[in-house]
Amino acid sequence: MPNVLPSFQRYQQDFCAHLRDPIKQPRPKNVPIERMAVYKEVVFNNLFESVSACFPVAQKVLGKRAWLKLTKHFFCEHSATSPIFREIPEEFLAFLSTQADLSVYLTDLCHYEWIELLVSLMKTSTRENDIDKAGDLLKCPLAFTPTMQLLEYNYPVQKISARYQPKEKVKTQLLVYRNAEDAVKFIELNPVTHRLIGLLQQSVMTGEQALTIIAKELHQGSSEKTLQFGLVILEQLKSQGVILGTKILC
Amino acid sequence: MRAIAHQKSSIHGVGLGLKRELIPQIQAVYADNSIANINFVEIAPENWIDVGGKAEKQLDWFVERYPIVCHGLCLSIGGLAPLNTTFLQQVKKFLQQNNISLYTEHLSYSTDAYKGQQGYLYDLLPIPFTEEAVHYVAARIRQTQDILGQRIAVENASFYVKAPISTMDELTFIKAVLTEADCLLHLDINNIYVNSVNFGFDPHAFLRGIPSERIVYAHIAGHYQQTPNLLIDTHGENVIDPVWAMLEEAYQLFGTFPTCLERDNNIPPLNLLMHEVNKITAIQNRYLGTHHA
Repeated sequence: MPNVLPSFQRYQQDFCAHLRDPIKQPRPKNVPIERMAVYKEVVFNNLFESVSACFPVAQKVLGKRAWLKLTKHFFCEHSATSPIFREIPEEFLAFLSTQADLSVYLTDLCHYEWIELLVSLMKTSTRENDIDKAGDLLKCPLAFTPTMQLLEYNYPVQKISARYQPKEKVKTQLLVYRNAEDAVKFIELNPVTHRLIGLLQQSVMTGEQALTIIAKELHQGSSEKTLQFGLVILEQLKSQGVILGTKILC
Repeated sequence: MRAIAHQKSSIHGVGLGLKRELIPQIQAVYADNSIANINFVEIAPENWIDVGGKAEKQLDWFVERYPIVCHGLCLSIGGLAPLNTTFLQQVKKFLQQNNISLYTEHLSYSTDAYKGQQGYLYDLLPIPFTEEAVHYVAARIRQTQDILGQRIAVENASFYVKAPISTMDELTFIKAVLTEADCLLHLDINNIYVNSVNFGFDPHAFLRGIPSERIVYAHIAGHYQQTPNLLIDTHGENVIDPVWAMLEEAYQLFGTFPTCLERDNNIPPLNLLMHEVNKITAIQNRYLGTHHA
């Protein structure tokens, strides 16, 4: 395959291979070592900064040396497919998913840290006219903010820090969204609320229908109690700006 | 409306690279005389395509008030993998949506074909200056122009390694590409200077050899001196005197053209950055009406 390429492209290929993996891939012939060093430093540092800016907690948890090693490995191994700079952290997540020997919670933690970036810059189009802000939260399908991310992790990612690193799995449900002031907000959910939002998000089910299903799942005798409990939650989500109102089609 | 839209899209005078740190500062003193010499701002499409939230509102704020130039970083004109036409369509839409008339890119590459797949390295790497590379690069510029339905300007890039396989010098390469691609030139004054030190040539002779009829736009910036014969194009320092002198020389030779101050690192407060913006305006004023209108 290399022989079909014109010489300038063979050179480019060698040049980049050495940038990515200076130990295994030789420096192109007759290229001065100190000049090549400029590219090695500049290109890696640039990428390192773009990745590190998104994962402050993961970086601290791993420690400087391990983080450097991991990002170098990323630079060496991963073919990034997006030219958009804010998608570099997503490229890093794709790389992490191919790595077997990471701390068990690291992938979850990095995903959680990336969600903040995703939500803060996510482009949305909400058609105000399609939403009834005063609609009945139990009787109509609900309109959620389009930035809402309903998440479930195997570890309590929101609690991880250099001082706290989980040893055991704990199913953790979270909701991340951008409010009307463009601030990213995080809410810890219990499993029932997570299930409720999940049901409402992916179908045209009304709050009442979803809560009836949940009452059955929980083997609650009366669904009346569940409905009351559910309404409180839905009203709270609305006051937080997670629920914008009801869909006008109702 | 149409006439205004046209006016807004026309780039003239002096511009400033729009870094995130500068956004609130410009917004705070907008319409103030102290920043009157900022005639346009420059952005990288790779930072702004399809952004939402606060960033989208900031972009809209600037689009309403300033003409905008798009200066790309990841098109990878000289890259190994096929041109990313999906990305180019995104750029096209972005230019149209924001009424941006000028899109420029680097005469360099930012991708490899690692493991047989296009891989972005997110930086500007040097294209070897060979005949084959001229044809390859020119064809990709033409392809870009066909997709966008407009001419683009390519920028002379700074570099640190001269490919041992090169068969021509940088100026010959640039001229050959411009002619074969029939594209415009984005002249980076600092890059001429940086390369002249890094590779030991006369920057003034280089400047005089530039096909001036293709210049539509210029950059000026500071750099970092790592050793006496190695300059790094950091955009993190003030512009040095020899580079100012070359900007003046360029205006003298070719007439003025819209010129953007790039400051990407170690960014001083806006009021200090304005010293350099104002200096470009002052130099331009000395040569207004000569050659190019």
